[in-house]
Amino acid sequence: MNYEQARMKFICDEHRCIECFGCAVACSEAHDLPVGISRRKVLTVFEGIEGKEYSTSIACMHCADAPCQKVCPVDCFYIREDGIVLHDKKKCIGCGYCLYACPFGAPQFPKNGAFGTRGVMDKCTLCAGGPEETNSALERQLYGQNRIAEGKVPICAAVCATNALLVGDAEEISAIYRKRVSSRGKGA
Amino acid sequence: MTNHFGDVAGHSKLIFIIGANSAAANPIGMKHFLQARDRNSAQLVVVDPVFTKTAAKADHYLRIRTGTDVAFIYGLLHVIFKNGWEDTDFINARVYGMDDIKAEAGKWTPELTSDVTGIPADKIIQVATLLAKTKPATVVWALGITQHSTGTSNTRILPILQLVLGNMGKNGGGCNIIRGHDNVQGSTDMCCLADSLPGYYGLDEGPWKYFAKSWGVDYEWLKARFAAPEWMTAKGFSLAKWWQGVLQEEKTYSSSPIRALWVQGNGITSMTQTAKVQEALDKLDLLVIADPFVNEAAVITHQKDNIYILPVATQFETEGSVTATNRSAQWRSKVVEPLYESRPDQEVMFAFAKKFGFYDELTKGMKMGVKDRQLTHVKDTFSWPDDASLEIARTIKTIGCDGWTPERLRKHQENWDMFDPGTLLGSGPVAGEYYGLPWPCWDAKHPGSPVLYDIGTAVNEGGMGFRNRFGLEHEGVSQLPDRSVTVKGSRITGGYPEITKENIETVLGIQLSAEEKERMGANWKVDFSGIIQEKCREAGVAPYGNAKARVKVWEFPDPVPLHREPLHSSRPDLVEKYPTYADQKNNFRVAVRFISEQKAQEWVKDFPVMLVTMRVVNLSGAGMLERTSKYLSHITPEMFAHIHPDLAAGKGLRDGDMMWLHSPQGTKIKVKAKFSSTVTPDRIALPYNFAGVMQGVDMSSNYPDETRPYAVGESSNTITNYGFDIITQIPEYNAGLCRIEKA
Amino acid sequence: MMKKYWFVLITSLLAASIASAADSRIWGGMILANILAYGQEHATRLGPLFTTLQAFYFRKIFAGVLLCVPAAFLVHYLVLGQKVFSHDGEKIFVFSVFKRLVHWLAALAFIILIPTGLMMVFGRYLGGGTLVATARHLHGVGTVVFLVAVIPMFLFWVAEMLPTRDDMRWVLMAGGYLSRAKQEIPAGKFNAGQKMWFWMVTLGGSGMIATGAALYLQDFDYGAASLLGLSQIDLLRFCAIVHNFLAMAIIANFITHVYMALFAIKGVISSMITGYKEEEEVRFLHSSFYKKLKGQRQV
Repeated sequence: MNYEQARMKFICDEHRCIECFGCAVACSEAHDLPVGISRRKVLTVFEGIEGKEYSTSIACMHCADAPCQKVCPVDCFYIREDGIVLHDKKKCIGCGYCLYACPFGAPQFPKNGAFGTRGVMDKCTLCAGGPEETNSALERQLYGQNRIAEGKVPICAAVCATNALLVGDAEEISAIYRKRVSSRGKGA
Repeated sequence: MTNHFGDVAGHSKLIFIIGANSAAANPIGMKHFLQARDRNSAQLVVVDPVFTKTAAKADHYLRIRTGTDVAFIYGLLHVIFKNGWEDTDFINARVYGMDDIKAEAGKWTPELTSDVTGIPADKIIQVATLLAKTKPATVVWALGITQHSTGTSNTRILPILQLVLGNMGKNGGGCNIIRGHDNVQGSTDMCCLADSLPGYYGLDEGPWKYFAKSWGVDYEWLKARFAAPEWMTAKGFSLAKWWQGVLQEEKTYSSSPIRALWVQGNGITSMTQTAKVQEALDKLDLLVIADPFVNEAAVITHQKDNIYILPVATQFETEGSVTATNRSAQWRSKVVEPLYESRPDQEVMFAFAKKFGFYDELTKGMKMGVKDRQLTHVKDTFSWPDDASLEIARTIKTIGCDGWTPERLRKHQENWDMFDPGTLLGSGPVAGEYYGLPWPCWDAKHPGSPVLYDIGTAVNEGGMGFRNRFGLEHEGVSQLPDRSVTVKGSRITGGYPEITKENIETVLGIQLSAEEKERMGANWKVDFSGIIQEKCREAGVAPYGNAKARVKVWEFPDPVPLHREPLHSSRPDLVEKYPTYADQKNNFRVAVRFISEQKAQEWVKDFPVMLVTMRVVNLSGAGMLERTSKYLSHITPEMFAHIHPDLAAGKGLRDGDMMWLHSPQGTKIKVKAKFSSTVTPDRIALPYNFAGVMQGVDMSSNYPDETRPYAVGESSNTITNYGFDIITQIPEYNAGLCRIEKA
Repeated sequence: MMKKYWFVLITSLLAASIASAADSRIWGGMILANILAYGQEHATRLGPLFTTLQAFYFRKIFAGVLLCVPAAFLVHYLVLGQKVFSHDGEKIFVFSVFKRLVHWLAALAFIILIPTGLMMVFGRYLGGGTLVATARHLHGVGTVVFLVAVIPMFLFWVAEMLPTRDDMRWVLMAGGYLSRAKQEIPAGKFNAGQKMWFWMVTLGGSGMIATGAALYLQDFDYGAASLLGLSQIDLLRFCAIVHNFLAMAIIANFITHVYMALFAIKGVISSMITGYKEEEEVRFLHSSFYKKLKGQRQV
């Protein structure tokens, strides 16, 4: 793998995801999130309809052309060289514009401001922390674990029971996904 | 499980899942089924009363009426036999009694089966065709099959299907029964049950004497521990109906009512008839609960006194082996010392034993060992868990735990990465061994048996025939297979009996020395000396024999499984045709109603809706542990029932409304209606993972300070209907009726 | 009426804090529909629209308004200069103490709202963080001040602000501001420009409150979403777009209002301080009103 060009992405294989919530719960646990703030969510579409129902897990997709970054009035987003979209909570004012721009509902707003008002935005960091010193207490407190810095896989993908949630270089995980799709067929 | 998950992922071309929702109950297991689709283009057939998350991944989903599994399988067999699709060679060579099955299957035309099961006839024919044409196929089931008043018949008919198709003893085939909790297989193997000593030895005098010897205690002393000698060999009360021992409403057989209850590591509130459990708890003189989390038994009782909650350590605070669903033993290390004042389970038991004055006897077995082919006292102190594991290894021969020494299991744990997940085969330091030494692991050199009943593999490499368990002949027919069924590398061509001291010389064609004869136990199950195993190894022979599988259990009420309508059936017309058993006088010390309950009234008139219980993925069992997690509780913060909007509309219920569910035995629960298309309008499905609320009364103030879980709720088991299996007495969880009223 | 308004406001604020505990309408069941609909042909396309507007246009338009409107007035001032009316004549009482108080309360609200709003618009040049976040909170406080002012203001002026025949003529001659000549301008007590400003403040202001509250409360269901047939997230996108465009219009008008009061006509601001207007001012700039007063012999 050419690390220079790696672009970190998530793919959730809908034929594998069984709505076990493992990714979402592990994420909340790992980053010590308040209840109700879900950096990662598990969704089921067409529930109960034979042949149509599928489940998927969704979080920040770390878009290359991130709309959140474009609309942020205080320019608190930055995209790392490896494609991970992060933001600076010290700059964020909690306006909510990134939420309106995001196609995936990724930005979350804990009610931790004064008098229970909306605080600054929180979202999936692909377990890569934030702009604070790597693996510092402040980074841990603001952004949760920085597993990427420790050479670990993001916790959601690490715990995925069915290997539905793939994370890594976009090219590589697409290749895995394509291989699955091509070998999956009806009948022997 | 006869096979293992990696085997299914690697070889199965068809996975037939019935009465199992692996996606919710065993997500890791589910992965392997999905991998099989991706790798082998395997097809997934799911049979379930509810469109589960497992069903959502199926290529063929069949919605079955609850409690009609036997009928459905006979429907499949009918099509298979009619078209001559059965594996005749396999049946002739390795199966006894198939003609009776064939005769019964003859009655179950697709049309009749469809009428009884609710599955369209063409679907039955399609799936039967698929099963016949796609090899190897594996059959997967879990509690949806076992937890019925006909549970024993259900669990018998599925292996019969696999025998008919010739899928047994093959990679990618077999019967793969999925365990729902950690180490369920282990606790089953240790027979934490009222009707057997560990290792499925039963309760007869012979096994008691064998265990007395292994434990190094006097048999007479053991016998004297019982109030009356006859209780020693009689089954105890079962987990399902222990409360009758307290309440004695139905006829019970015991010296006195139960007055004290000690619960260690069992969510007794996850059993059916929870209202009766509550009544019984209220009547006890003493309740002792030992659990890492607060067992709801302490919460749902009205008693304020005489309840003792002992904090027991979790798996992370102790060491030892657990057994996985595929019979593999896994060694676990202690991660932290027990927190606060909690102690590991065995420490709690040791403390009690000390108080009661039999600590020495309890721990004596761990100081014994086999020396010079004789069981003898070998040391004055024991170390946990190694000596307990060694005791298991030298004692539990029925399932072949002999090779499970702590050293080997630790080595497997340490070399985890050296095993191939597809075959379980190890390399490097564990070369030639299968991960976790899946039983039977006949001796300290045996690699474990990844696939049961595989005659294409030598016994010493994990192969075997069927066990010779039920004598050598029945009604004049030999129970041993012919020459075609020769286990690879075996000195004996064709079948052979289980090895005993008496027959070993003739069967194996050897001559024993006088010393060997003296030290050898009566048969392979009770031979501490290990001589039988040694001789069998030399001959490439499985100590338990090589026999035919029987599909006819002549000592059971139904020698071949029969369809019997649930006690509370949604089809009274079928009750006439397929009535349940006669009432049972005494099973596990208590009378059990069958026909009298079924015929007491036409239940469906007053209770028109089928009641299906299910597990939600974020909670297990009674949810005792999971509901103390805020994140897990947040997924399902309150008790609910899946209800089809059409059914709800008839009751004036909107999504999110509260409703009362009434059961035939007069109990009721108040739960939230959750609209769902996963159920049809004739049934509702509710999770069994809540507790803490009883019939509308919130009991959660009974939790000791700061131990109340984030979520409490009504237990579905308060309204699961009366009914117990005629053999195992497992409660009927899955086929029942209820009435819905808007709250 | 006002009591009811307050009640609604307070209960909705309370409910919002309670609602935060319950499951979100944005991230709950609706998230699916939102994700699936995003950018789809049949969908509202409000997401991409908002993104484009906010990413490329809003900031530029705000900057344009802030630069162009004052520039235009500067030119006007330099070319045409102030209008001067005699301050020696009779004085006509036009604004009661209550009205003046309410006006200045509204003015205070604007002085809070506009700069703090602009601080958010141009937050990136201020480095974001505490400064801009404080501005955001002040913006919320300013809204409450404005809400207190705008309701009575609406009630006591609405009748006089209804359009009349004069207004069209006033508009056609641009209120006479494009000429140095002193001429009688067709207008009642309030001219068309003032009326426009009034409606901008009351209706536009209400729109600002409504959209702003939606954005501030974010996940609170007050029926608007279902009324408009939008999902909650699309409602927020809609509100953000409306809020920005309205803000531009109001800011432009606010600047105009300030220019008129401070520079266009000499000393005209005193009417909002003392309550009295110069007779000559009224005679020329509010000629219809003056004639009416004369007819009633009040001057």
